[in-house]
Amino acid sequence: MNQSDRKDAVNPFGKLHFLIVDDFENFRLSMRQMLRSCGADKIELVGHATPAIQYCTYNHVDVVLCDFNLGEGKNGQHILEELRHKKLLKRSALFLMVTAETSKEMVMGAREYQPDAYLTKPINRAMLEKRLGSLIGQRNALLPITREIDQENYPEAISQCLQAIPKQPRYKTWLMKTLGELYFIVGDMAHAQKVYDDVLNQRELSWASLGRCKVLLANRNFDQAVEGLKTLIERHPDYMEAYDLLAEGLEKQGKPVQAQQVLQKAAEHSPNALLRHKHLAELAGANQDIDTASQAWRQTVSLGTYSIHDNADHYLSLAQSLSDLSEGDLEEEGTERAAEALNVLSKMEKRFSDDETISLKSRIVQSRVHSGQGRQREAEKILASVENDIKELEEMPADLGLDYAKTLFRTGREPQAKELLGKLAARYDDNADVLQKIESLLDEPVGFRQKLEARGFNRDGIKAFEAGNLEEAVSAFDRALSIVPDHAALNLNLVQVLMKQFEQQPGNRALLTTCQQRLERLNHLPEQHRQYRRYQALIRKIKGLTA
Amino acid sequence: MTDPTIDFSMVLASAVHDMKNSLGMLLNSLDELRNEHEHTLAGSNKFNMLQYEAERMHNDLVQLLGIYRLGEDNLSAHIDEHFVPDFLADHLARHTPLLEGLGIEYSIAADDINGFFDEDLLTGVLNNTINNAIRYTKSRIRLTAREQDGYLVIGVEDDGNGYPESMQHTGTLSFKALDFQSGSTSLGLFFASSVARLHSEGNRSGSIKLHNGGALDGGVFEIWLP
Repeated sequence: MNQSDRKDAVNPFGKLHFLIVDDFENFRLSMRQMLRSCGADKIELVGHATPAIQYCTYNHVDVVLCDFNLGEGKNGQHILEELRHKKLLKRSALFLMVTAETSKEMVMGAREYQPDAYLTKPINRAMLEKRLGSLIGQRNALLPITREIDQENYPEAISQCLQAIPKQPRYKTWLMKTLGELYFIVGDMAHAQKVYDDVLNQRELSWASLGRCKVLLANRNFDQAVEGLKTLIERHPDYMEAYDLLAEGLEKQGKPVQAQQVLQKAAEHSPNALLRHKHLAELAGANQDIDTASQAWRQTVSLGTYSIHDNADHYLSLAQSLSDLSEGDLEEEGTERAAEALNVLSKMEKRFSDDETISLKSRIVQSRVHSGQGRQREAEKILASVENDIKELEEMPADLGLDYAKTLFRTGREPQAKELLGKLAARYDDNADVLQKIESLLDEPVGFRQKLEARGFNRDGIKAFEAGNLEEAVSAFDRALSIVPDHAALNLNLVQVLMKQFEQQPGNRALLTTCQQRLERLNHLPEQHRQYRRYQALIRKIKGLTA
Repeated sequence: MTDPTIDFSMVLASAVHDMKNSLGMLLNSLDELRNEHEHTLAGSNKFNMLQYEAERMHNDLVQLLGIYRLGEDNLSAHIDEHFVPDFLADHLARHTPLLEGLGIEYSIAADDINGFFDEDLLTGVLNNTINNAIRYTKSRIRLTAREQDGYLVIGVEDDGNGYPESMQHTGTLSFKALDFQSGSTSLGLFFASSVARLHSEGNRSGSIKLHNGGALDGGVFEIWLP
């Protein structure tokens, strides 16, 4: 027998506060019975999520034993996420998920928080005493470290970890994992990498490979990180965190389409992680894959029902993407999507009624949906009420303003939309992200289908230009500009081709006149615009030619 | 007649999943019953038999699901470092009510070592092997762990009659080796051997060994993990 497991003189269960969460009274009672016979004394029983979270808000709890499946409403994972997210549980507290399933199916769902251990039913007293006993032993041994982490005193936590490693070989995995994370948090990437390399030198462990790739990403070694993560996924196709990190790496490499594909695969494997669906939705939206985006937003909204991560923005984004899809589509699919958008917005208004701007945000999208379905009168009516409320806003948030401008464009109020965007650009002149969104909207103030069409023509034009086929390039850019006449880069593309044509036909002054007309369209281009320098350069060139 | 829309193995897998959970609840109730009626049930052969057979079915179903996922290429080993004596003690605890009920002595002889393995997969193997040992032992079961030739060796020994000549072997089993005619399908051994193979390090991979002897002079099951 190994001697290290002998019971401490002091009963380790007696001092701790336990919380049992299970919807079956019989199970709660038998669990309490088992805990008592292990020496536990302070035991609270609850049947559902709400009282569980309530109890943890006002009481100190050391060990939570929570059934995963709690019937209708929140499940064990929701409780875990809420408790850890709101910091209602200390780092030193143990959260044990009790399940009838094998653990992996559940681990796959989670993205951020995982329980300290799984207890698989059937559970008997001997098992509980052993398992819980060793977890409590571990908790007590690591308390000097977790206490510092709770107080966010990371340097001290690191030095405690370093002291414990030679003394506590039993908890080596926990110690090395935690040490790597702590170095990462304080930004000491060199030491974090060394921790992971030390582990990997001994053994190819997936958590250490992941940690190493995380460090590589933080050090902007994107290629190496992406390569490492691809290998990791090949070996462990069910390691979801690796997919999340790979998508991040691919994005940083400037490959958003590949990143989207990776997340789509991960979402198939583990359909329950809200934040993963949200990330996918954002990526797909940026990739103009509105079908995928709306599907992912739909999932995000549905998973939010019981989640701490639920947010009105998810509803709004779903409605916005459905509005994009339904715009101008009067067939069955289009009308269905429009109806779904309005339905989602009405749910959002009810669920987030505390938010003062929620009705305004909702009506801005509603008006656009009606307009896209040819119901101008409804669109106008709603827009009138929006205009009133907007005037009373003290300060317009950027997102709300951008969305409002979009609706103004769609309802034929171009001058008003441009004026609004001008004001927004002045107010947010130090926010590159907002400025870029404003530029994009000014460039392409049309529905996403027309946007894709114009982008297609633009690509054709560039290809023809590179092949030396100037006629074809001009006609492709012309077609694109007939859809988005104010698009800065497109106008400049056309000017460049026309100037090239002029080199070949120096007598054809009409080409230069067209160039001048195109450049005049852009005379409101602000200095901070990405195309501004190119615009200035072309103006000088034209002046030189026409002088 | 065949209906191509029915994916039979999928149907089977979800049915097995359901049965497994049901049996889990049943085993839970058996444990509670045993606690509530300690005096009358502790020595009851019928009750012990009931628990043993339920345990056996539960293990079989867990393995069946594992093998299904293996076939779907959906099972990979999540290897982590574990303190071996704790791991063995945790899992022996699950069987102590039955062992005590049957009057079987049990012990652990494990070196204080860390090992690299997938906890869930090894749990399946260990439960099945202990269950098997309960069936064939006379009076004693012993779990062992040591490091040998760079491998972690976990063993389950009993003082029964040992494995018949035809079953004693070393290495890995193939699916074809399963004999559905003889009644003993060796499903458990096939599963154990598959789990062993999923554990690999460099060009070495795990295997199982069956032989007779050991400290109790009975059957010895060993799983060797690199």
